[in-house]
Order: sequence, then C-alpha cells, then structure tokens
Amino acid sequence: MKKTLVSTLAGAVLLGAAATASAHFQMIYTPDSALNKGGSIPLKLVFTHPFDAGHTMDMGQPEQFFVVRSRGENEPQRTDLLDTLTPIDWQSLTNSGKAFETSYQARGGDHIFCLVPAPYFEAEEDSYIQQSTKVIVNVGGEPGAWSEPVGLPVEIVPLAKPYDRWTGNVFQGRVLFNGKPVPYAEIEIEYLNHEPLLEKNAFAEKGQVAAPQDAFVLQTIFADENGVFTYGIPRAGWWGFAALGLDPDYSYEGKECSRDAVIWIQARDMK
Amino acid sequence: MKTSKMNKMKQMALAAAVIFATVGTVNAHTPLCSCFDNGDDTITCEGGYSDGSSASGVAVRVESNDGKVLQEGAMDGNSEFTFDRPAGEFSVVFDGGEGHSIVVPGKEIVQ
Repeated sequence: MKKTLVSTLAGAVLLGAAATASAHFQMIYTPDSALNKGGSIPLKLVFTHPFDAGHTMDMGQPEQFFVVRSRGENEPQRTDLLDTLTPIDWQSLTNSGKAFETSYQARGGDHIFCLVPAPYFEAEEDSYIQQSTKVIVNVGGEPGAWSEPVGLPVEIVPLAKPYDRWTGNVFQGRVLFNGKPVPYAEIEIEYLNHEPLLEKNAFAEKGQVAAPQDAFVLQTIFADENGVFTYGIPRAGWWGFAALGLDPDYSYEGKECSRDAVIWIQARDMK
Repeated sequence: MKTSKMNKMKQMALAAAVIFATVGTVNAHTPLCSCFDNGDDTITCEGGYSDGSSASGVAVRVESNDGKVLQEGAMDGNSEFTFDRPAGEFSVVFDGGEGHSIVVPGKEIVQ
C-alpha cells in the first residue's frame, strides 16, 4: 500500500514536471505558410501546449481577429474576420478544449493574420494570460508588408521573412510594446511537434521528435537591447515564439494579466 | 603573347561578370502574375515582382489558344488587370519584356 502511494506520488511529480516544461501557446494554424496559388485556406485557432500536444485551454470569444493583406507597393488592406469564426472542440492528447476555426479566400501577396484572444484565466496562478498572435501566409511569392507592425499593443515584428526560411536559417524578430522595442524581452520557443489533423480537429498522436530533457521542450532566449532576438531553426515545420509579460502593469478584472506577443513561422527542408 | 593572354583572361573575367550580373538581376527581380476568377464572369490578374516592386503599366494581353489577341491593356495603379472571361480557351500574357513575361493558362484560373 505504502509502495503504491509512493509510486503514485512519484507519478504526480513527474506529470507536474512535464506540465511546467511546456508553455501555453496561442496558435493560428494553417498547413502552409507559402502557397503557390491562392484559394480557400483553413485556419484553426487553438490555445495549447504544442510540443507535447498537451492540455488545450478553453478559448473565450476573441477580442479581435483580422487579416492585413498587402501585395507589392499597394497599400495594406485590413479585413475583420471575427464574424467568420466558428467554435470547435480541439482534441489534445489529454483533453478537449474550446477553439475556433474559419477559412479564408487568399489571393496574392502577404496575409498577416492577427488574433487578440480573450484573456485566459489561469486558476493555478490566479492570473490571466493574453497572447496576441500573428501568422503570415504568402501566396505566389510576391512580398508585401510582412516586416511592418500591424499596430497591436504587443507584437513581434519579423526581421526575416517568416515564410521563406530554410531549415538551418536563422529567424529574427523585434519585440514591440505600444510600438516601441522591448529590450531584453524573454522569449519562449516551442516546436509544433504533433501534426494538427484538420478533419478531426485533433493533434496526431505521434510526435515527430522526442526531447532529450525537459529544457528542450520549451526553449528560452532573450532579445537584445533593441528588442531583437535571433533563433537558428533546427528542423522543418512550425515554430512558435512567445515574448512574455510585455506590459507589467496590465491587469484584467482586477487580476494580473500577462500580455504576451506570439508569432509562428514555418521552415522547409532543402531537398 | 603574354599581353594577349592577359587581355583574353580579362575579357573572360568581364564576360563572366556580365553573365553573373544578368543572372543576379533576374533572380532578384522575378516577374509574378496570378489570376483569379471573381465569380462574376470577370477575372482579375495581379502582377508584380519578387522584390515587391510595382508592375503598374506593364502590358497585359488575353490571347486565344491560336494566338489571337482577345483583349489587351495594362496593369493599373494597384498592379491589377480585370477583364471579362472569354468564351473559349485562352491565356493571359503578362508582358514585362524579354525575360520578364509570364503566360497564365485560362484553365488554371480558379476562384
């Protein structure tokens, strides 16, 4: 009996350790960030732990969801997509969480999809998290305003095209709060390790890589004095970058709220 | 003899530099043109270049498969050209000049 209790406790401790190793990441997922042709593209909005396809949090009604489309020297055009969102249940490996989906008719150039989700209450920490998230999809190779801020209060602005990275390239971004760089911002990085299965609204059970130790699940880097960070991309696929707590004084409903900026990029193998 | 050989080497180096420069220009400035069916019997073609520069003013032709020009015009201020969908098979020619032209077959144009 005593032995069973010890085993159970050990298991709980291990589970606890695993849970803290990966971070909450707001995702805007679509399979391909660099399309040859336009057409309807699927978008899934999921608040989850992407490396281990772990606990998926219930999303509330987002505050904002829009796209800024730009092509060449044309003026960027903003389109509100909030009304197009449909609630879905997203299946992680451990639970089911409330998420959203939509589809978008993409034409040529850059499409910067931007999400400001409802603040999420993290009961264990008695505080909220709000991750303003961007993903940039290009159609046809003609660039637009991918390197321009869209004006979110917290935002990561790419300094390298987020859709043209080969595996082994670096990705650079600048962390902004109210349009100004955030020196030495802390950035967490996670790999989307389990393929999202669009038809099932679920993660694939099998991950692509195994982390040798918990530190590799959630990597941490810091921006420099100009708010610029650099990351060498070791593997093809989607990578999430989350700059944490950019507005230390921010609160929501009387409680602390971590205002984070997230960007997702996709790298491809040279083959 | 020695001078002549030197001159020949210089000429070869110059030729190589010219070739590189030409290739470099093409790579850095690839023409792009995508066309979309607007769902109302019109088609919009979006032109541009891989470095993001404008294709405003570039000539566009809509040609039948036997080479007859059905419609022609130029990319507008937004580097777009909209035309009525022809009845038969056709192609859109984005005529950016030698090395900078693109042909988009009509059958590949979807919404």
